[in-house]
Amino acid sequence: MSRHFRSRKALVIAVASTLALTFAGCSREGGGDGATGAAASPGITDTTVRLGISTPLSGSTAGPGTCTVAGVKAYFGAKNAAGGVAFGDGKTRTVEIEALDDGYDPQRAKANYDSLKDDVFAMTAGLGTPTNRAWREAAIADEVPQVLVMTGDPLFSDTQESPWQLGFVPIYQNEGEAFGKLLVASGAPHKVAILSQNDDYGAGYVEGFKSAVEGAANIEIVDELTYEATDTSVDAQITQLSASGADVIFNAMSLVPLVVSALQKAQQLNWLPSWFLPSNTSSPGAVVEPGGGAAFPGIYSVSFAKAPASPAFAGDEDVQTYLAALKEHGDYPDAPAFPHCQWSWMVGATLEQAFTTMTEPTRDDFMRALRSIENFEAPLMLPGTAVTTTESGQPAVPTVVVQKYNGKGYDTVESLG
Amino acid sequence: MAGARMTTAALSDRQRSWLRRAGPLLLVVVLVVVPLVFPESVNETIARIGVFAVAVLGLNVVMGYAGQVSLGQIFFLGLGAYVTAYGVSNDWNIVVVFVLACLIPAFVGLLVALAAARLGGLAIAMVTVALPIVGVPLAKRLSEFTGGSQGLSARFGDAPEWSGLYDDQWRLYLVLAIGGAVFLLTRNLVRGKYGRVLGIVKKNENVASSVGISPYRYKVLAFTLASLIGGVSGFLYMLVIQYTSPETMSFGHSIQLLAAMVIGGAASIVGSVLGGAYYVLVPQLTNLVDPSLTALLQGAVLLVVLFVLPGGLASLARPLGRGRRSRARHDPAPLITPSATTKSGSAADTPETERQGHP
Repeated sequence: MSRHFRSRKALVIAVASTLALTFAGCSREGGGDGATGAAASPGITDTTVRLGISTPLSGSTAGPGTCTVAGVKAYFGAKNAAGGVAFGDGKTRTVEIEALDDGYDPQRAKANYDSLKDDVFAMTAGLGTPTNRAWREAAIADEVPQVLVMTGDPLFSDTQESPWQLGFVPIYQNEGEAFGKLLVASGAPHKVAILSQNDDYGAGYVEGFKSAVEGAANIEIVDELTYEATDTSVDAQITQLSASGADVIFNAMSLVPLVVSALQKAQQLNWLPSWFLPSNTSSPGAVVEPGGGAAFPGIYSVSFAKAPASPAFAGDEDVQTYLAALKEHGDYPDAPAFPHCQWSWMVGATLEQAFTTMTEPTRDDFMRALRSIENFEAPLMLPGTAVTTTESGQPAVPTVVVQKYNGKGYDTVESLG
Repeated sequence: MAGARMTTAALSDRQRSWLRRAGPLLLVVVLVVVPLVFPESVNETIARIGVFAVAVLGLNVVMGYAGQVSLGQIFFLGLGAYVTAYGVSNDWNIVVVFVLACLIPAFVGLLVALAAARLGGLAIAMVTVALPIVGVPLAKRLSEFTGGSQGLSARFGDAPEWSGLYDDQWRLYLVLAIGGAVFLLTRNLVRGKYGRVLGIVKKNENVASSVGISPYRYKVLAFTLASLIGGVSGFLYMLVIQYTSPETMSFGHSIQLLAAMVIGGAASIVGSVLGGAYYVLVPQLTNLVDPSLTALLQGAVLLVVLFVLPGGLASLARPLGRGRRSRARHDPAPLITPSATTKSGSAADTPETERQGHP
């Protein structure tokens, strides 16, 4: 047997090396290279442009993931029905969306990107930090735009590091900073306690907050604690912070049940500070009401989108157009359960804004157009916020407004109290 | 290849033995040619299949062959990927990185196995469940090494100048070479003495003890090997995907790997490749059907395969292989595979797949 094996092995090696030598010289026909000159990039013709999305449509993040597709699909569905989008090069194109499910798995996101990159003009709107990071370098190497993606990761907004990327939603630092500025502007002396999640999510919020209050004479940080994302209770931290005498708590937590129990624990201890919550754990129905938020002098959060469920915006024209389109073109018959639906609608509007100033049907020119939007107030945006893409290191929506809980929803506030 | 084999019935023994040798040769030729003829996207898909075929193979060693339920295989893939990413981003020699990506998961696997293999049956499953569950927060916390929840990117394995190949072709060759070597070594292991011992341990530990085999030692061995192979798949994962994050080793993926192993075929080398193909291709195919129903469609595929082919996809290929071997039994030349192994292999398959249904 060993003799057989040896001769076979020799034969294998001989054949393999012959073949390898023969084929190594062959070159492949051009596959997916970037466009040269003014020739059109892949995914765009005189009548259509195709956009790709890789986002979680199954698994635990499927809710917000489905929204990221629905909003932008609804936006362009309505535009297509009205004839299409007028591009800066004088042509009117309909916009097609091709969305694939990645199940929040980076490996599948990369696979989706690989299968879409030669068919689509640009990738957009996908949700998730790891799932967008997984193919960021490949997108740079292939010169495929990966723009207006839904991640708070600052890397996507760094023009040097990520020339073909742009994040859409405010980064964590933006949110923390907005609340810090409000506190400083209040003028009154405040003692602040900080409780944050011990990862880059919590650290980002705290970094933004601290940069805003740095050097302010009226703000003193009296105690700072963290908890683990795997913890089931923060009662101990709340108890310790309640003894610090703080009148404001900066609470950067991403887990809904923990926020609810933290609010309840503070009431048990009869410690009633003004309370800051991140945008993703400040839902009136899911967090503040069960937590008994009305007991506190103020529950503050940040936002940049109009909440369609809020009575204040029920008659708003933007909101009505949006809800109708979402039903008709977005395959989303229910009331939007996540703000990502609204954000994705704004992504559609921002893309259209870039399309209207594009003069050549190339990815290069699209990136140039996209990076030159200033103070564009997209539909559904709250007054005081706007899309600005010209600043490196900042996402497309760098501004948020601070809002205060009013018993039912949130109202924008100018000052504490 | 199947067609070629069917026609051999009429051929003489001499010709048949030549064909038997031609089979692997043909496989090698195909593997050499494939990267050169396909477009980039197909090459990348094949490379991904290779990555997960190796991961499923590791799971097969501990579960398919040794019969110990392991729900933690993805942890070793993740660990191998992190070691690779860390090594590459610190500019270590790539060979050193590869060796570490094998040895560190193997060592961790050994430590876990020393404790876990003392337990039997589902208790081992419970211990291994803990691995990905501990692994994800650990990867988030040790951000110095792992980049925290934002993960690590590391690009390596670009085609060298002299090869004249595209990067995707070169990477696919690396995956095929490393993965092929792992498959060959594992195949030799499970077809030989160790494979038979593992088969006995799997069937009945008391019988194994009575003939002087320590079930504990061989369970530890199988678990350590599975971890090592998991580490190799982690290295390949970084080569192909070039990015890892705590999400890579989430528990759900471990279950998907397990499903891929069952669908491919437990205790089967071919089944591991088919399992890898299932893991990669089915999400892509279901995306083509309807992106918002992928989870549902994957569940349907899983059920259909288990109802129609309880032995996994590999059982489709098995009759062919068995026919070939039984014919070969009359061959005067010494055989690669003694028929006894074939029997114990196929007999061991049935209880395994039945047991799968229970937990």
